[in-house]
Amino acid sequence: MTCSLSYQEALAAYRAGADPGPLPEPMDPDRLLSAYHPDYLQGSKTTLAVGPNAGEQCQRELAELLQAEAVIDEVDLAGVPVADTDVLVIGGGGAGCAAALAAAERGARVLLVTKLRLGDSNTVMAEGGIQAAIEPGDSAQKHMQDTLRAGHHAGNPALVAALVGDGPDVIRWLIRQGMQFDQTESGDLHTRPAGGTSAARVVHCRDYTGLEMMRVLREAVIQHRGIEVWEQHSAVELLSNESGRKCVGAVLACRTDQSLGIVRARSVILATGGLGRLHLNGFPTSNHLGATGDGLVLAYRMGVKLSELDSFQYHPTGLVNPPLLSGKLVTEGIRAAGALLLNAQGKRFVDELQPRDIVSAAIIRECREGRGIHPSSGGVGVWLDTAGLERSQPGLLEKQFPKLLARTRIAGIDPRAEPILVYPTLHYQNGGAVIDVNGATTVPGLYAAGEVAGGIHGRNRIMGNALLEIIGFGRRAGVAAALSGHDRGPKKITLEHVNRARRALALAGLPLARRAPLILPAYTAPGKDLTFMANSRSKS
Amino acid sequence: MTENVASGPAVELTINGQAVRAEAHMTVVEAAWANGVPRVTGVGCLEGVCGSCRILLRRGKEVGVALACETLVEPGIEVLFLPPPAAPRHQYELAELSDGWDLQARFQEIFPEAVRCRHCHGCVRSCPKGIVVEEGVALAVAGHFREAGEAFLECVMCELCDTACPEQIAPAHVGLFCRRVTAFFHLRPPNLIHRLEEIRQDPPGGGKEKS
Repeated sequence: MTCSLSYQEALAAYRAGADPGPLPEPMDPDRLLSAYHPDYLQGSKTTLAVGPNAGEQCQRELAELLQAEAVIDEVDLAGVPVADTDVLVIGGGGAGCAAALAAAERGARVLLVTKLRLGDSNTVMAEGGIQAAIEPGDSAQKHMQDTLRAGHHAGNPALVAALVGDGPDVIRWLIRQGMQFDQTESGDLHTRPAGGTSAARVVHCRDYTGLEMMRVLREAVIQHRGIEVWEQHSAVELLSNESGRKCVGAVLACRTDQSLGIVRARSVILATGGLGRLHLNGFPTSNHLGATGDGLVLAYRMGVKLSELDSFQYHPTGLVNPPLLSGKLVTEGIRAAGALLLNAQGKRFVDELQPRDIVSAAIIRECREGRGIHPSSGGVGVWLDTAGLERSQPGLLEKQFPKLLARTRIAGIDPRAEPILVYPTLHYQNGGAVIDVNGATTVPGLYAAGEVAGGIHGRNRIMGNALLEIIGFGRRAGVAAALSGHDRGPKKITLEHVNRARRALALAGLPLARRAPLILPAYTAPGKDLTFMANSRSKS
Repeated sequence: MTENVASGPAVELTINGQAVRAEAHMTVVEAAWANGVPRVTGVGCLEGVCGSCRILLRRGKEVGVALACETLVEPGIEVLFLPPPAAPRHQYELAELSDGWDLQARFQEIFPEAVRCRHCHGCVRSCPKGIVVEEGVALAVAGHFREAGEAFLECVMCELCDTACPEQIAPAHVGLFCRRVTAFFHLRPPNLIHRLEEIRQDPPGGGKEKS
């Protein structure tokens, strides 16, 4: 049974267009997932002891951060300069920009802060596209059913209804911001199916959808007179009122001169994205460098209820080699266009357009049972048969997937002539902060939008719903934040919620030595840059 | 991910003036991390699409620019991480460009330097994505905004071309302007508009979106 091959052996045995054999009888989805999906790995989860989700299961690496001490306390805030704004947006990706634009359109003064450069986010790396039910025969209802079903019915129907209902208008709004989409000969938006969808519903701009979206939104934000942007400013803590029950601003650290700043705001929108850079279960990630789960940490300490903390998405097709691109994404659009997955024997082993969790689990099964392909640089994977796709549809890769070609060119691989090696890569946080249809969290004054928010995708997200969510819910949160918080009471800013969280940690007997948010992964040696952080850590 | 510099054939290079040793398969970013080079803040996607990790690169007598996450270490090269690009000088809001007949005139007002391109090829040489930047700018000046925008499809807004341009044309922003006005004025997809009209005439049940 075992016929694990080296990369060279497998490539020598590979024949483009060879019969991949019939699909084997599919395994029961629940059995497949519990046996092979990384969420179910032995020891990958722990039970939270403190906070709004105490008693619930959580991935271990995330739990360590959620149950950590803050990086600052009151002493650090003495003499720190204070700025005021109406709406503070934390995060400079697609959700943050959409929220900032929507809030500014409603007349709010907006300050957007990002710890990296504006637009430097997971959005810019998105490839496949954005879902909107616009084709004849498709409907918002079908979109809703697909989303709930693929999420194993763990999603909140009210949020999903809002998501799918926003779809067509989100596309119009993006076009008004100046975003291009691929069209058919007759001028219609070109649509693709995706794993787990019942209709062709993913609109896209070649395989550069996220890049096109992000550079347009970035320019729109920069050009907007009502929005101020602070780049290289990380949010290290939120601020609360005297009772510690309402969010009234945030504490920022400037990454270039290590100074702290306080921003008081009527509303705060968390748009901080996900946590791929925590490398859950040791997996590589498709995420950008700043995806360290900061938003979840800040929200949890403030008392925000989170959801699905034990459920993460491993995208089926991350690159395996070269090492410099390990874990980087090959868009699902390739499989939607017809590319097959083959094991070392050259055989198909799963319906390629099943939802992502199923396909990932099946790839892991093949590799664990000895039907994987081993490159000399380490790792293991299966073939994504791009050469077979090129053979059946000549020219398609060049026309629709220029990003894949540009990227593999660096590695000296031509996916038109040979298949590429893929393995699941940590891609997306399925859950996050519990929100309502306006993006409001369970803490007054605090909103969440995009990957940091939860409740939409259940326990598995389908392609194209993330880009829809960041714009749809980004706009919703922006509008709600701009229109709320007109109380002009005393503007006392405290770290009462930090004190409360510290007491809970001490009572639970948890160590206070670990601090969060991380801001950047440890392997970037941030201590060298962030002397402020280093001081703070050595203090206690 | 990045390990400490281990044994094995090491590559010696200079990053931000600091002599560092790295393994041959490392990118310049990984080499900077492994050696604790300070002040490397402009790193983001690590796959060449965010355009943040701009570097000046010297190989012998040849000097160029590149993205650090796409550049593998080589013996003897000198690398300097560049500061982020300055805020754009060319101000416009799409909603204020209401009349397509005025578009060429407005373009000249917003980007008055574009017409002064002296064809020095600095922008083309500096582009890490191989974009025909100079041709794109010429197409924009001639009013061929769609074609100009298409030339900038793979632009990651690293703005190295802007840094290189002696006339301060800001080619990356010219390209983005061309792409945006093309969508803003011309992208009117029938299938999308049809669905929007259906929704307008028969909005989904009113109370459905109440939380």
